[in-house]
Amino acid sequence: MAVIMAVIYGIVGVMPIFVGDVRFIMHILIMCLIWAVVAACWDLIMGFAGIFSFGQVAFFVMGAYGSAILASRLHITPILAMVLSGGITAAIGVLVGLPCLRLKGAYIALVTFAVHMILEPFLKGDMGRFLGTGGSRGILTIPPIELFEVTFSSAAPVPFFYLTLLLSILCTVIILIVIKSYWGTAFLALKDSEDFAMSLGVSAFKYKLMVFALTSFLTGMIGGFYGHYVGMLSTRMLGIDLFVTLMIMLVIGGIGQYPGAILGAFITVSLNEMLAPLGTYRPLTLGALVVVLVLLLPDGVIGLIRKVSGDEAEGAGVSRY
Amino acid sequence: MLIELIDVFISGLTNGSVYALMAVGLTLVYGVSKAFNFAYGSFFSMGGYLAWLLLVGLGLMGGYVIIFIIAIPVLLAVGYGVERAIVAPLRKRSDWEVKVMMITLGLALLLDNAYQVGFGARMKSLPTMVEGAMIMGDVVLSYQDMVIFVLSIGGIVCFRWILNNTRIGMAVRAVAQNPAGAQIVGIPKDVIFGATFAISTVMVGVGGILLSQKYFVSPTGGWDILVKSWVITAFGGMGSIRGSLYAAFILGMLEAFVGWIFGMTWVLFAMFGVLLIILAVRPQGLLGKWG
Amino acid sequence: MLTVTNLDAYYGQFHVLKNVSIDVREGEVAVMLGPNGHGKSTLLKAICGLAERVAGTIKYEGREITGMPAEKLVNQGVIYIAENRELFPHMTVLENLKLGAYSKNARQHEKRNLEKVFRLFPRLAERRRQLASTMSGGEARMLAIARGLMSNADFLCVDEPSLGLQPNLRIEVFNIIQEVNRQGKTILLVEQNIPQITEMADKLYVLEEGRITFQGDRSEALSNDHLKEIFLGM
Repeated sequence: MAVIMAVIYGIVGVMPIFVGDVRFIMHILIMCLIWAVVAACWDLIMGFAGIFSFGQVAFFVMGAYGSAILASRLHITPILAMVLSGGITAAIGVLVGLPCLRLKGAYIALVTFAVHMILEPFLKGDMGRFLGTGGSRGILTIPPIELFEVTFSSAAPVPFFYLTLLLSILCTVIILIVIKSYWGTAFLALKDSEDFAMSLGVSAFKYKLMVFALTSFLTGMIGGFYGHYVGMLSTRMLGIDLFVTLMIMLVIGGIGQYPGAILGAFITVSLNEMLAPLGTYRPLTLGALVVVLVLLLPDGVIGLIRKVSGDEAEGAGVSRY
Repeated sequence: MLIELIDVFISGLTNGSVYALMAVGLTLVYGVSKAFNFAYGSFFSMGGYLAWLLLVGLGLMGGYVIIFIIAIPVLLAVGYGVERAIVAPLRKRSDWEVKVMMITLGLALLLDNAYQVGFGARMKSLPTMVEGAMIMGDVVLSYQDMVIFVLSIGGIVCFRWILNNTRIGMAVRAVAQNPAGAQIVGIPKDVIFGATFAISTVMVGVGGILLSQKYFVSPTGGWDILVKSWVITAFGGMGSIRGSLYAAFILGMLEAFVGWIFGMTWVLFAMFGVLLIILAVRPQGLLGKWG
Repeated sequence: MLTVTNLDAYYGQFHVLKNVSIDVREGEVAVMLGPNGHGKSTLLKAICGLAERVAGTIKYEGREITGMPAEKLVNQGVIYIAENRELFPHMTVLENLKLGAYSKNARQHEKRNLEKVFRLFPRLAERRRQLASTMSGGEARMLAIARGLMSNADFLCVDEPSLGLQPNLRIEVFNIIQEVNRQGKTILLVEQNIPQITEMADKLYVLEEGRITFQGDRSEALSNDHLKEIFLGM
């Protein structure tokens, strides 16, 4: 796993040497790095912990709005605002997780997706405006990140790229550590048989809640980072097309095939840019893409590579007929 | 004041009846095959657009009777086809549940945007089913509301009768209660899965026709319906028809009164709050199982 | 009537059955003995189209039925009767029995078979309106057998009918199975280690670690010391 990650980040890390002055490509690379974290978090929670959470985009948006509001209203320095906002998102994550983690799969999907669905009216409504979300107009001026008196912004893409790379690696390595640790093993045991794992003293609820907190923290934080990068936010992000785009990352990467999700993010973000000329047909194509990919690429690119190279034992999820 | 209250009550009752029909469809598929259909709301819009296409687009004569005669077989075929084409192939995988959610979410995006490309982003209104109203003093009871109520409740009663009294209905219940046992006695599980999916598509599609002619139809209008049906199903207890019925009327009333007192934007929050409370107190919903 | 040749079966990564061959003739009661977890139930499931992955050939009345899904097999005349897990818990006894006759060629005999079954199990006739989930262990076992008979199948694969029953109920269940056999059904029965079983068996097999380690008729079984000691408790 670590090797694949090193290769992916290594290749991306040297890209600025070749395309450092092409602002458009640098922007895509930065977006790739940001979405890699979101997709990796989703894979941890869904692929490894087996929790059908559909609130990933909602947590991302919460983090983005939170950090933007903290920085612009309370004048907290953006880096600190990001972390604080991650903390707030994690707290909300735990609040959502508490009632629904005792429930079965579909109910968790229901509650988390409902969070996604009510976030838009909330941000647009009176309560949101009171908090400073700017209603349906959104937030238009978000201060850029400042670190040691240096301003990182989209105006200077190369330094910003390396900052993003650092943060992306940091987050995904944390996820890797979790997967490789006792937690990861416990989750695999839980997925095989909840009763069996509980008899070994693995407390399903505690681990699930912790993973919920961790992923919503990382997602919220990277969401904040995203806000400071693009400088403005609106509730358009809560549209189903972004949600589905994130899902495509996971499908291409393979669910539970870490670090496939990171690879999936890179492929999907680039692909999405290439689809831009399609205009109004783009979301339609994305939807069709999901249907086709779920059917044809059941274990993602990583699963396909494993299958081709004959290492079938690790190809998770296939029942044998 | 009292008249307004009665109006709100009637509105809750009418919408509640359609919600009940749609929630029963959702609970049917989940109860029988454990598949969760994210494109459910898009099938709602499909019903609305189908009616619009036939009535306004093609200018078909004969009114809504013809619409139902054409739309029901179309919706049946679409539902069955979707199940066989994209849900059934996933079933043999151990992670099929989440795969089904993903693929139907993709399908929803596909359908919503197909509507947008085909019919435009703006909402479309349909001619009303029946004009006129029954006037009792100050209370006005529109025939439209009455027809909606009768058709929805009639549909549910009909469905329940089939479920309890026919061979195919018994087979559906058998698969829901024990898929392996059903297989042993010779019930073709896959056909039943496809059939239940098709029936649920008809239920939500008809719901789409009924509500669209009262309000309007729009490309993304189905999401609201998906969440509402979902909340009702969870509230009533997944797999319980009677539970869905009660829950639909309770939430239909909640919607009408919250909307009236606080405004429509609060409806979704109220429903979400109720859902969280219900799941915290009674995770299995009001009533369990098939009743 | 039923011939299994060189059958291998897998459960996940486990190779459960290894090169198993058996032969059951019409009108027989064949009994498969063996310790728990050594593949007896898997064999029955493999025959009845309920196993995950099988290799080898299974023939019923000369027709190949290997890997045929369970819902099609009923029409061929083979039915799987599990202890009682495969009943429909929220349905009445009568509904369970009616569903037993769901398959095409059972449907036309439904009435006659229902009468037959009620004669065989008067208790079920009394309780026809009761929900299956509210029945006692013994009654549920009877219902499972009765539902199997409703399928009009000639070949019954019975999975551990005595599991979890008190000794007197066991005898009752065995008597019923013998009666069913007398009425013309061929039976392949799987059991752990029950002393009474030899009385009804025309043929015995022992399955250990996925292989057949003994086969023979009743007298051969009784003269085999290993068998007597381990499985028949004598």
